[in-house]
Amino acid sequence: MQIKLENIIPIPLKENLQYRSSDIWNTTQVFNAGEWVNIKAPSGTGKTTLIHFLYQLRFDFEGNIYWDNTNTKQINADAIAIVRQQKLSIVFQDLKLFGNLTARENIEINRVLQQPYCASEKIDEMAARLGITSILNQKVSLCSYGEQQRIAIIRALVQPFEFLLMDEPFSHLDNNNKKIAAELIAAECSERNAAFVLTDLDDNNFFNYHRKLIL
Amino acid sequence: MLTRLLKKIISTASGRTKFVMAVVGLSVALLLILSAVQIQANYNELLHGKTNTDSTANFLVINKQVNNQTINATSLSDDELNQLQHQPFIDGVGNISASRFKASIESYTSTFPFYTDIAFETVPDAFIDVQPKDWQWDENADFIPLIIPNMFLDIYNFQFSVSQGYPQITPDVLKMVSFKINLQYGNGQKVSYTGRIVGFSDRISSVLVPQSFMEWANRRFGNSLSNKPSRVVIKTKDPGNPDLVKYLQNHGLTADADKTRFSKYRQIVNAIVGVSWVTGAVMLLFALLIFTLFIQLTIASCQTEIQLLITLGASPKQLQRFLMQQFFPFNLIVTFIVLIIIAVLQYLLCYFLQQQHIFLQPLPSLSTVAAAIIVVLVLWWVNRSTIKKYIRM
Repeated sequence: MQIKLENIIPIPLKENLQYRSSDIWNTTQVFNAGEWVNIKAPSGTGKTTLIHFLYQLRFDFEGNIYWDNTNTKQINADAIAIVRQQKLSIVFQDLKLFGNLTARENIEINRVLQQPYCASEKIDEMAARLGITSILNQKVSLCSYGEQQRIAIIRALVQPFEFLLMDEPFSHLDNNNKKIAAELIAAECSERNAAFVLTDLDDNNFFNYHRKLIL
Repeated sequence: MLTRLLKKIISTASGRTKFVMAVVGLSVALLLILSAVQIQANYNELLHGKTNTDSTANFLVINKQVNNQTINATSLSDDELNQLQHQPFIDGVGNISASRFKASIESYTSTFPFYTDIAFETVPDAFIDVQPKDWQWDENADFIPLIIPNMFLDIYNFQFSVSQGYPQITPDVLKMVSFKINLQYGNGQKVSYTGRIVGFSDRISSVLVPQSFMEWANRRFGNSLSNKPSRVVIKTKDPGNPDLVKYLQNHGLTADADKTRFSKYRQIVNAIVGVSWVTGAVMLLFALLIFTLFIQLTIASCQTEIQLLITLGASPKQLQRFLMQQFFPFNLIVTFIVLIIIAVLQYLLCYFLQQQHIFLQPLPSLSTVAAAIIVVLVLWWVNRSTIKKYIRM
């Protein structure tokens, strides 16, 4: 999957961003298939806004976004759902988990929304790797932020995708866990030959990025 | 798996009591409207069903009222007959034609002497309530068969014989008696034949002869007076039909009042059935409203969860299908249970009325089942459109 941005500018941030130089806003930028991109974004520059635009959660922007050459303005809700099930996965900054479901159920729901990409055992395998096996059957609302973040990462990885969006995916993890999680993500992306865009506040070297951009 | 998870996310959000109330409301409304349909079906069956009709009830002898305006002008014109034939509540019209010659009958024996001038009438056989085996005539026949009103025999047995000191006569004895029928040419010359009573009619108060005899006799002895009928027998599905009674009134016709008297009761029953229809329909409307509100409430109370599911990639169609599976089966179950209740009530009613010699089908009518299917379709549509509307919001 390829995502192309064409003179995108968020309407609420228009005033602030107009006179700043940026690799993304108000210019043309293409995220190619299989490409790993890091976007460094200081606070208030619209990092989460960008991720939401790319995922089609928000539409308050000027310019055009293309998913595989299709202008996203022309895609209806059911077609968006199909892209999200088959091609585009995401780790939200605010995680967006169901608090009253268990960790396993939260992950399962993303696995079974479409024809499952992997077996249910894969969840146990990934959970073991990230060290959250013990909380798999625990209600998410009772888990710590760090645990919740790892649940959200696993949830993003159990579905089929060609493109992964990550919004500060390691913000609640210690360095060791960051490393383990990044290895898992890299392995899954390589296996699928998938692209990803990772946004973070500071410079980082979690992955072997193809490109590093500044928002 | 997905269904189980969705159930956990969505159904926990809505109240069980509210759901039970919505289902109960729907059940009561359905019971009312389907009962109204069933009552209507029973009512129609009682009116038109074969087992409940009495043979005389469906035939009415009608004629013009004799009053100052119509005196000596009571024959029915072709137009009037034609109009009668084309009324929706009239299934058939049989002309009653009268003899156009002078005739008399007298007894053969002096032990039981009688003599009287008489006239005959005839109607198509299909309109006579009795079909005696001797009811046929041709020129070689030994005797002329007659059908007389039962009433004549009653008058004789209970009135005349008592006052004159004569013995009472049974119908079978009377059928064995032969008597002389004298028919008179226009010039006054008489020819005698033998006649015999072969049957007694409750329907037509006239002395009837077979049509073949009437045609022959009118040709041979008749004068040239009009052959327009002044009375006709009509066949109708329902002599109590208010439309029929109104039609007769408007055209200055009268019929056996006894049989049309039920018209008034019919109007009252019609009104009651109408009211039960309206009540059922209004209740159904309210029940649909309750159910719609319940669906809205469920969706509204888990709006965040639904939003999150869509964010994660659940398609609106997927969620609609799931919600439909959550709500619609209850509608089906309710309809099914209500149909069973109606079947039981109908069976009990049938059993109860049977003891009063009123016969009904023990099973719910086809129209009730059809109404249930229509209601299910309406429910399906309401469910679907409500879910669609609120998911897409």
